[in-house]
Order: sequence, then structure tokens, then C-alpha cells
Amino acid sequence: MQLKAQTKWGWTIAAYLFLAGLGAGAYVTGVIADFAGEQWASVSKIGVALGFPCVLLGTAFLIADLGTPANFWRAYRKPGTSWVARGTIIISVFMVVGFIHIGLWLWPFGVLDDAEGARQFIGVVGAIFAFGTMIYTGILLGANRPIAFWSTALVPVLFLVSALSTGMMAVMLIATIDGAAHSGPISTLVRIDVVLLVLEIIVVAMYLQATHRVPESRAAARLVLAGSIAPLFWFGVAVLGLMVPLALELLGYYVLDGSSAATVIASISGMVGGLCLRQVVLSGGIQAPLRAGRFEFAIPNT
Amino acid sequence: MPRYGFVIDLKRCYGCYSCQVACKAANFTPQGIDWARCVSAETGSFPTALRQMLPLVCQQCKEPACKEVCPTGATTQDENGIVLVDKNLCMGCKACIMACPYGARQTVGDWQTYFPDAEGQLDPYEAYAKKQWEKKNGYGMATKCDYCKDRVAEGRKPACVESCPAKARTFGDLEDPESEVSMLIRREYGFQLNPEFGTDPACFYLPPR
Repeated sequence: MQLKAQTKWGWTIAAYLFLAGLGAGAYVTGVIADFAGEQWASVSKIGVALGFPCVLLGTAFLIADLGTPANFWRAYRKPGTSWVARGTIIISVFMVVGFIHIGLWLWPFGVLDDAEGARQFIGVVGAIFAFGTMIYTGILLGANRPIAFWSTALVPVLFLVSALSTGMMAVMLIATIDGAAHSGPISTLVRIDVVLLVLEIIVVAMYLQATHRVPESRAAARLVLAGSIAPLFWFGVAVLGLMVPLALELLGYYVLDGSSAATVIASISGMVGGLCLRQVVLSGGIQAPLRAGRFEFAIPNT
Repeated sequence: MPRYGFVIDLKRCYGCYSCQVACKAANFTPQGIDWARCVSAETGSFPTALRQMLPLVCQQCKEPACKEVCPTGATTQDENGIVLVDKNLCMGCKACIMACPYGARQTVGDWQTYFPDAEGQLDPYEAYAKKQWEKKNGYGMATKCDYCKDRVAEGRKPACVESCPAKARTFGDLEDPESEVSMLIRREYGFQLNPEFGTDPACFYLPPR
């Protein structure tokens, strides 16, 4: 019996999951940096500035994937009934707060520049919904009971760690290109990102280990590790997403003494890996076979 | 109120795909959409290999997984237990397609002709079917089997039941203990597919040999 993976959610949904995670992760990085003192001000601005546009772009991908994109507003009809509906509310609130944060602080108004308390309050509110955005996507996939590869508690954790890491990389990338003026904060970000990458390696390993229980998730793990999406996993996720950034960040920190080139390459490579990770998880979505007596029927793909 | 259900006898089905074709004819489903389907599986190895067919329709679950994940309220259950999609509320997010354990939900982007030489031109029969489909279902939305709701309301049986030459399919009211489906389920050990998903389907199967 050959179990087939779903094909209905493809690269556009992967791009959405990736961009929403990246935007929310960058925003959280920016908000935390805002609490860290004067020399972090520009890093904080970069993070907050990345949040809303990235999530908006991701949402555009999500809407483009709908069968009838013009009807996307129907997702607001029944808030709280399902994870798509809840996520729509979470991500909308995040975008509104992120937009206000940018509008009142960076451009066109600068009213929050001196009002540190108000700025941090908006930041904390936004960060709560940013965490919601990072986590809910994993829960959304997990709500599909027949797809055991998604229906585990580790998908939200995996998406959260990856979102924080890719968001931080985006901030690092822009800050490095922006100039060497933030070398102190950047080297701190690099060190935190090393921890996140190590965590992500552990979560990916645990996630794949946890697939052993049922045939459909074993089939998904085979597909990921040795099947048709193995190149994407080993090259895209393992090498580009985890090994290259980890090696370059360690190298840049200990040997090259904060080399800009190492940070830039590590960030771009890690972000590509984050996109590949979403696609790998999506294309491992194999539905449980139907059982009748001693027969197992694979559900045909439509 | 009745709860409509199916009993499909796996001993009787020999995989002629009449149900699949009859459903297409009755519901004007476009290319790529089959509300009634037949899938096959094999087990064992020579000389004791066995092949078994499994006819699939929407299972019209009491606790539908598709309704649980539907964000727009497009998925509803009518008084007969039939799960319906409102094309004026669905937005085509495909969440229900992922959540349904039985693969009952499908979606299609556009009507395409079956004939490769037609260069996109529909013949009159296809044009008629396209009109009928659009009236009821639309494109880009989730679509699914409704146990031929309109035929049943007229007192007829669903198309796949009428067409089954092996008489493997029985349609009736599960709430009525005297109905043929209820008797078959009781007497011949009817079972539901994959009960572990907790959906309580209204489609019962009688065990294969």
C-alpha cells in the first residue's frame, strides 16, 4: 500500500507560514531589544519595522491560496470556532498593533520616540499576538487528526523556535547591512541565535523521532528522510537552515571576530532553511489509511 | 427526524465503478471531482493474496471533522444528518479537505472538458452539466456528497445505490430500528471506518470475507 502525501497546501502556504513566523519573530526581537537600553535602539527599530510588512506579505500568500481569494473576509464570520478563524483574528490584531507601532514610532509620526512607557506597552501587546501568530500555525496543522505527521504537540514548538530564529536572522541581516554601528548588539543576537539553532536541531530531531507510532507518520518520516522530499530536507533544512548558519555564526563569533559577511550569509541561508522547513512539514502531510478487516486503503489524492 | 445512512456490503462489491459514474451523471461533478469513489487494496502474498474494493461516499458524520475546522460557518448539518457546504459562505481555505479522515471533500478551480481534442470547447451536454454544477456548487469552494438530497426528497434513492449492480449498497434511516440498514448493521456486524477519529459516521460497512 502506497500512502500519498497531500498536495492541496503547497509552496504558497509554506511561504505564508514562513513569512508570518519571520515577521512575528523579528517583531518580538525588536520589542525585547527596546527594553535593553540605548545602544539597542536601532536594532529595536529594525525588528518592529520588519514585523507588519512581512506578516502582511505572508497574508497575501495565504489569501492567494484560497479557492476564492475575493471572499477572504468570510474568515471573520465565526471567530473562535476553528483554528483558521482564531488565527485570522490573532494575525489581524497583530497586524493592526504592528501597524500602529510603526506609524506612531518610525514613520510618519514620531510621537512614541520620547514616550518610552507607551511604546513598550504597545510592544508587549504586539508581542503577545506575535507569539500567537508563531504558535497558532502549528496548532492549525495539528487540528487535522487524520494527518499524524502534523497532529503532534511538537509542530507548534518547532514553528515557534524556527520563527524566533528566522526573525532574529532577518534583524541581524538588516542591521549588518545597515552598518557596523551596531556591532555590540549584533554579536549578542548572534549568540542568542546560536542557542535557538541548537534548540531547533533538538526539536527537529525529536519531531522526527516522535513519528514512530502510526504507519502514516512513519511513511511521512521515510518521505522526509529518504523519499522524494529528502533533498529538500537534507539540503534545505539540515544544511542551509541549521548547519551553515550555526557554523558561520560560531566561526564569525570566535574566529572572524564579528565578520559582516559571515553574518549576512548565515542569515540568508538560515531564512531559506526556514522556508524549506515549512514546505517539508507540509509535504509530509499523509492521511491515515482507512481500515476494513485486514485491508488498509490509501485515500486517493484529489 | 430520520438520520440517513448507508450500509455498504464489502462482500458484494466487486469494483465495477458504477457508483462513481452514476454519481457523476446525477450530480454533474466536473473533472477531478468524484463524490462517490471506489478504492482498492491488496493483502497477503501468492498464493493467498486477496484484493478488496472499498466504495467511498461522504460518511455524513454526526461529529464532522470538517465542520469542526470550518472557519466561515459554511459547513452545516441539516435535520437528516446530512453535512452541507454553503457556496455563499465557503472561501476555499481547504482546511476541511485536510481534516476529513475519509477524503470526502474535494475542490476544483474550473470546469474542464473531458475530451482532449475539444480545445477547451464544451459540447452541449458538458455545457448543460456545467450550468447545473455552477447553480449548486461554484468553483474554488469545498464540495462534497450530500447523499443525493434532492432525489431522496423526491422519494428516490441516491444515484449510487440505484446503479449498484451487485446490490452492495443499502440506503435508509439509521434512527428507525426496523429499517433495512439498521437490521443489516445489527445482523451482519456493520462497522464504521476508522472510529478512532471520533466522528461517528452514518456510513456503515459489512465486513469483507
